[in-house]
Amino acid sequence: MSVIVCRQKRAKHPYFLEGLGVNIYTCQELCYGIYHHPLLFMDGIMDQNLVDYIRDEFGMGFVAARLEQRIKSGDRPEEVLFLFMQECDYYTTAELNRLRQTVAGLKKLPGFEYAKRKADYLVQFKQYGRAIAGYEEILEAGDGRGDDLFVSRVWNNLGACRARIFQFKEAMEAFGRSYEKKKDMAVLERMYHLTLLNPKVQLKEEYRSEVSRELMSRWEKDFEQAKEAAKESEEVKRIRELFEKDSVRRLDGAAALVEEWKQEYRGMA
Amino acid sequence: MEGLVLGLDLCDAYTQLVCAQGEKTWTLPTVICRKKEEELWLVGEPAYASALEGSGVMVDKLVKQVIKDGTATIGGIRYRGEQLMVQFIIQVLALARKEYGTTNISRLVFSVPRIEARLLKCLAGCGEYAGVAGKDIRVISHTESFMYYVLSQKREVWNNQVGMFDLSDDGLSYFEMKVQRGLRQTTVVAEREELEEGFSLDILNTAAGGRMADRILCSCGGRMLQRKLFSSVFLTGKGFESRDWADGFMKLVCNRRRVYVEAELFARGAVYRGEDLLREKSAYPYVCICEGRLDSSVSMKVLHKDQDNQLILANAGVSWYEAGTEVELILDGQDYLEFIITPPDQRKKKTVKMVLEGFPKRDGKTLRVLLQTGFLDERTMTVTVTDQGFGELFPSTGAVIRQEVRL
Repeated sequence: MSVIVCRQKRAKHPYFLEGLGVNIYTCQELCYGIYHHPLLFMDGIMDQNLVDYIRDEFGMGFVAARLEQRIKSGDRPEEVLFLFMQECDYYTTAELNRLRQTVAGLKKLPGFEYAKRKADYLVQFKQYGRAIAGYEEILEAGDGRGDDLFVSRVWNNLGACRARIFQFKEAMEAFGRSYEKKKDMAVLERMYHLTLLNPKVQLKEEYRSEVSRELMSRWEKDFEQAKEAAKESEEVKRIRELFEKDSVRRLDGAAALVEEWKQEYRGMA
Repeated sequence: MEGLVLGLDLCDAYTQLVCAQGEKTWTLPTVICRKKEEELWLVGEPAYASALEGSGVMVDKLVKQVIKDGTATIGGIRYRGEQLMVQFIIQVLALARKEYGTTNISRLVFSVPRIEARLLKCLAGCGEYAGVAGKDIRVISHTESFMYYVLSQKREVWNNQVGMFDLSDDGLSYFEMKVQRGLRQTTVVAEREELEEGFSLDILNTAAGGRMADRILCSCGGRMLQRKLFSSVFLTGKGFESRDWADGFMKLVCNRRRVYVEAELFARGAVYRGEDLLREKSAYPYVCICEGRLDSSVSMKVLHKDQDNQLILANAGVSWYEAGTEVELILDGQDYLEFIITPPDQRKKKTVKMVLEGFPKRDGKTLRVLLQTGFLDERTMTVTVTDQGFGELFPSTGAVIRQEVRL
């Protein structure tokens, strides 16, 4: 239990933290983002733009100069981040040491495993575009990186991301590649659901023959259930409530919602 | 010529004005008179004269009028106490401006018997209305004036305790100042005690009245000065203009003590304060504790660079009406704030806990609050805590809590 004094200036202009899709105004918010989501930020967040922002908006000229120096001398990105966090005096040395251990643990992972974790993490924050790039990078890097199960999972996750941004054809292809590596019926189920979502996408005959009629009807039933459940989701409820409001409030709410979706889509793409 | 530095002692009975740039002083009754037929204001003796001849309406007890938010109707117009005070101050300042041929005032220090929030605000406004910049105006208590006056004398005058009797139409008061020399700092403490034995100065006009007054003062003097070592004793106020009636009392106070009589002590003390405000570094490097200033410091424990530190919210010795502060804090794993109140006697140190009821429970160092403190008087600190949110990650709930903390 403790009390910390916010000694640094609050920014007049926000800094958009792409990984989380939020604007930040204080160095504590930046530290919080990095501390709780090291996978999102530890590699490339500290660039000249951010250093300039730290100098101009947080009034931390001396720290910015040191960060600049460290970047120029080729220090590891995470070390530059640690320096910044230390100077902010938001996390204690013990807390920063814990973060160091987490980061060191992540850095010890094989490169492709680390890259997959990072891409998976981006998916959690609906950063599908960046996640797809991450998955593709792993797959393009060539064979010999991970076993069939690992590669199958990467293709599967890539397919899921494609489906989330309505690229059903590409999603179907990715799921197909996943299924080829590891005959997993769950992947086949996803492919079947894709055909139900978009009739233009077809399940290859060779896969169709592997699924019994009973299984197919069960998947259809699951799909219908999922559709019904979606009608009662929070998002749909929110829109329903919006349409029950008077015209002025409805328009205001709709504008805010569309703006939210736009932001979300920008993050996805 | 540089701006004037003025000390203005303002009481209900009298007003004294002293200027640092000259020897001339003005003493006038605190009354104001408006001509019946025109908006012409007179102060002091001319005000009395106008009222006596029937051409004007006079109002007295102006300080009380301000404190009580009173009103007076003159020529069919209802004036609030503050409006009358503004006119009075303008007229009084005009005396010095005329005498020294300048309208420029670089420091104006009011000295009043007691610091009252309403009076403070009014005098600051009056000063500004009279053309003095707000930052150049100060209001201090008589006790603080006494302290500055004494400290501006030779050190031998205040080596030990200093006592003072103030006898005027407003009553009889005893002041005492002592210096506590520490290793790190010297603390000067001054106190005032209003004595119940105060009497009307009119009784001094008769021999019998004078003898009675002498007996009263002898009794007070004996009580206040006994068994204490004084470097000096001061006498001030209209009552001591002549000491012919006070043979017994003078004999008592002058016994093995240096005694000084100073008629304009409070106004002069205010001028010394004003001059000191002009200096880059104070000529009085002491912690001064008296009425109008905090006698305890207020701090809280904060974490800085992994170590427990003290965040000073208010220092002992600063004027309570200037001691407000504002700071943003992050609370890690606690839903309360704890203030440490340290009086001059460190053994009486205490902590006051303020639980933030109705505030969101946010973990992970994301409860950011704005702490604002101010003072209603020397003993009462007001605290306001507002949930600031944590950016877009955790927007503010708008929770606010206000509390008064007794020091």
